[in-house]
Amino acid sequence: MRWIQVIKLRARSLFHRAAVERDLARELQSHIDLQVEDYVARGMSPGAARQAALRAFGGIARFQDDVRDTWHASLFGDLRRDLRYAWRGLTRRPLLLVVSILSIGLGVAVNTTVFALAKTLFLSPPSARDAGRLVNIRSARSSHASYEQWRALSTSAALDGVAGYQIESEVNWLRGDAAVTLVPMLVTANFFDVLGVPVARGRAFTAAEARAELDPRVVVVSDGFWRSALGADSGVIGRAVTLNGRPYTIVGVLAPHIRGIFGYGSAPEVYLPLSQTVLPYLREPGAPVVQLVGRLRADQTVAEGRAAFTAAARRAEGMMASPADTGFARLEVFALARGLSQIGPPGPMAAFLAVLLVIVGLILCIACANVAGLLLARNAERRHEIALRLALGAGRARLVRQLLTEGLWLAVVGTAGGVAIAGPLMALLNGVSLPFPMPIDLGLSLDAGVAGYALLLIAVACVLSALVPALQATRVALAPTLRDDGRTALGPRMTMRRVLAIGQVAVSLTLLITATLFVRNLARTQSLDTGFDTAHTAVAQIAFVQDRYSREARDAMVETALDRVRAIPGVVSAAATTGVPLTIHGGRTTGTGIRIEGVRDEVHVEFSGTDVGPDYFSAMGMRTESGREFRRTDDRAAAPVVIVNEEFVRRYFGGRDPVGRTMDLPGDSGAVPTEIVGVVSNAKHRTLGEATRAAVYVPLRQRNGDSRLVFIVARTAGDPGALLTPMRRVIGQLDVSTAVEVRTMRSALAFAFLPSRVGAIVVGSLGVLGLVLAMIGLFGVISFGAARRVREIAIRISLGATRANVIGLVLRDASVVAGIGMALGIGASLAVTRPLGAFLVEGLSVRDPLSYLGTAVALGVVAIAASWIPAWRAARIDPMAVLRRE
Amino acid sequence: MGKPSDLIQGTLDLLILKTLTVEPKHGWAIAKRIQQVSEDVLQITQGSLYPALHRLEQQGLISAEWGETDTGRDAKFYELTKAGRAALRSETAQWERLSTAVGLVLRNA
Repeated sequence: MRWIQVIKLRARSLFHRAAVERDLARELQSHIDLQVEDYVARGMSPGAARQAALRAFGGIARFQDDVRDTWHASLFGDLRRDLRYAWRGLTRRPLLLVVSILSIGLGVAVNTTVFALAKTLFLSPPSARDAGRLVNIRSARSSHASYEQWRALSTSAALDGVAGYQIESEVNWLRGDAAVTLVPMLVTANFFDVLGVPVARGRAFTAAEARAELDPRVVVVSDGFWRSALGADSGVIGRAVTLNGRPYTIVGVLAPHIRGIFGYGSAPEVYLPLSQTVLPYLREPGAPVVQLVGRLRADQTVAEGRAAFTAAARRAEGMMASPADTGFARLEVFALARGLSQIGPPGPMAAFLAVLLVIVGLILCIACANVAGLLLARNAERRHEIALRLALGAGRARLVRQLLTEGLWLAVVGTAGGVAIAGPLMALLNGVSLPFPMPIDLGLSLDAGVAGYALLLIAVACVLSALVPALQATRVALAPTLRDDGRTALGPRMTMRRVLAIGQVAVSLTLLITATLFVRNLARTQSLDTGFDTAHTAVAQIAFVQDRYSREARDAMVETALDRVRAIPGVVSAAATTGVPLTIHGGRTTGTGIRIEGVRDEVHVEFSGTDVGPDYFSAMGMRTESGREFRRTDDRAAAPVVIVNEEFVRRYFGGRDPVGRTMDLPGDSGAVPTEIVGVVSNAKHRTLGEATRAAVYVPLRQRNGDSRLVFIVARTAGDPGALLTPMRRVIGQLDVSTAVEVRTMRSALAFAFLPSRVGAIVVGSLGVLGLVLAMIGLFGVISFGAARRVREIAIRISLGATRANVIGLVLRDASVVAGIGMALGIGASLAVTRPLGAFLVEGLSVRDPLSYLGTAVALGVVAIAASWIPAWRAARIDPMAVLRRE
Repeated sequence: MGKPSDLIQGTLDLLILKTLTVEPKHGWAIAKRIQQVSEDVLQITQGSLYPALHRLEQQGLISAEWGETDTGRDAKFYELTKAGRAALRSETAQWERLSTAVGLVLRNA
């Protein structure tokens, strides 16, 4: 009861100050009136009574303040006073304020940005109606469902709708005269009905109109595509676009900045309904067509939905025509569609983000250590004042609260600065364009979750920066402090500031070593021998419209194109292939058992397969070790032949020359005896970091399977950039509906180099940031240490120490701090960098001695540079002036 | 008027609480009552009275309400709360213990 009253009163005095003030004035006035009344009753005249009363009342203002003080005798009032006092103290020392704002600001900015990135990629739900009810569904057998499977599952009533999507195809879009390759999202007819993706203009297609059987010609486009490619035309609805040579009608434009169901910030430009024209193998039994996404019914939990779905799948399996269309009775994934469950186990992307989060967390720690160090220094200067107040009876808790308020200001201002920096930083990242086949819309923004994280950082920063100095400052033993000694409880050398500085150096070294590893990794990947010529080659990607031309017609067109390309001046050799190594079309991997002539048992082989035309190896700059290249005569009519690489020979032929031997390789209809006609040098196929693979090359004309994509590789003696325009011209003359893209090999491989480049840039910058912050901290500690020993230095100088001696003294001091820090840092790095091995290429170990040595030396040099100024200043002390002052 | 003797803050609080045991009073009446009963020795100035009253109110020991004096003037009346009565009892006991002890020392030390 009492507490309620008390709280009500305190709240009133806080929030209704004006009313309370008026009340007090009224009360005091009433007092005067009553006093006057009393005097009059005792016989004074009213005028004299009034005068006497006012005189007896005294100075109102003074005790009005006293009254006000009683209102403020509470936490809030103290807090307000502390805040004002602390702020005035801080503005009197602008250096502390500026350094703190910068340190904490940068620390918070990078933390907030990385968190926003992690949130967008892994925690955010896709843009859909009631996205919390969507689930990703994946069978244990395959990541994709076949069309028949989807049909059966979507008609069951187990869930409130099951839709499918895929983004592995490409379509040609006719833009003016040229054709451009787009990666569309192919979706089942009911996709938009089930998901309810927000539409800004027009509408999405419905399940009825977009059934694959109807061969629908409708398309929904993204906001980005509408703006950049369609010129933000307001009459876009109903407009036709030509895809794969056929007209499609735009029925809707999606809302801006939607998060796709695929995740990872992908933002497909066009959404096409599935049909046999875009996906010829649509109806093939067991063909992997779509990834499934379902919507839980309103009353279902995830577990109930899963049970209902698997029951329905089991029932459906009994009715499937082909056994290839089964497999959904056993699920690998059935989980809410929020980032992490998107694509199976997290993988390298998540690991990299985890590493980043740790790194930026460490940077924030370094920044807080900086601020803590500065506060410690300041408190040391005020130790007289603090000791006095403690002696006079001020509560320790009260004093700690007061000192903490300073830290609170610094943390708040620093975090505000950090959030201000984070905004433009995120905008910068949003605008970065990466060489992906589909646009990426990261959509980083300062939303509620991110802001909440920033607030959490304030709390952490405040505690880290200010609590320890505040506690330490009030713990001083009084007597020695009131003398002017300057020694602390931990002994003359090992002050808290030094400990902090050592910690900063250690953390900074760890960060730098990580950064160095990433940068060296990048350098290595750039100069990595890919096994083929990347400096003098250009590659043209030719995308034929699906089904427009027969295979023979296409092969003939490619021949013509090749002849024309070879005729371009400067071209040394040119060849065709169906796959370019180290790109997304990098060839297929096969693992199977084959029979080799002369070997009794079946041999299990694993190899990477590519279909290549004549002169391929000379065009790619690869060596033919034995045998020959393919010739024009190696076509369908001739005997099947292959060329293998050295690794294949090493693994399955014991290093003996296999030219002339025959193997039974899997073909369209059973094993086919195939003669080996050549051996070529090893090369990379899928990733830069892979171990050497065995490879088998099949002549282009003898290829199994078929694809509408063909690549022409051309080599020149000089700069391949000069080939781009002529190649584009001569190949484009073939057919206006084919999409032709010509790039230098370097540029085509940019996607393969991307992770190492991104890693090196990001981690490198963060490493440098950490170093700068740590050096600021080191500089502060050494200066302060030198300033504290002014008296000792003055005595030394007057006893004959030279300037060099003094500099040596200070630098030795710095070396101790830096040295211990580096030793700790190296120890920590050895322990902590082990998981990074996954990101590094072969040949670069996480314990790379050169990286460690180089970084330690660099840090040492910077540390000495940071200590030089304090050392210099110490050496120029005038001993007489100092000693006279004592 | 004689010079008011110095009263430690806590003692003033005790006196105010005691004055309010019988009936609610306004600030001026409290000061007058204390002065009367102490035979003019304790003269409480407004500078001590009102801070004390407001402090007691903030602590929940007395509660305040505007009302009318018998002469028809507006005044803010203070009343003891239950917590106030309890505090009065314990503070009075404390005071008695203290003053007995002081008396003993003065007489016998």
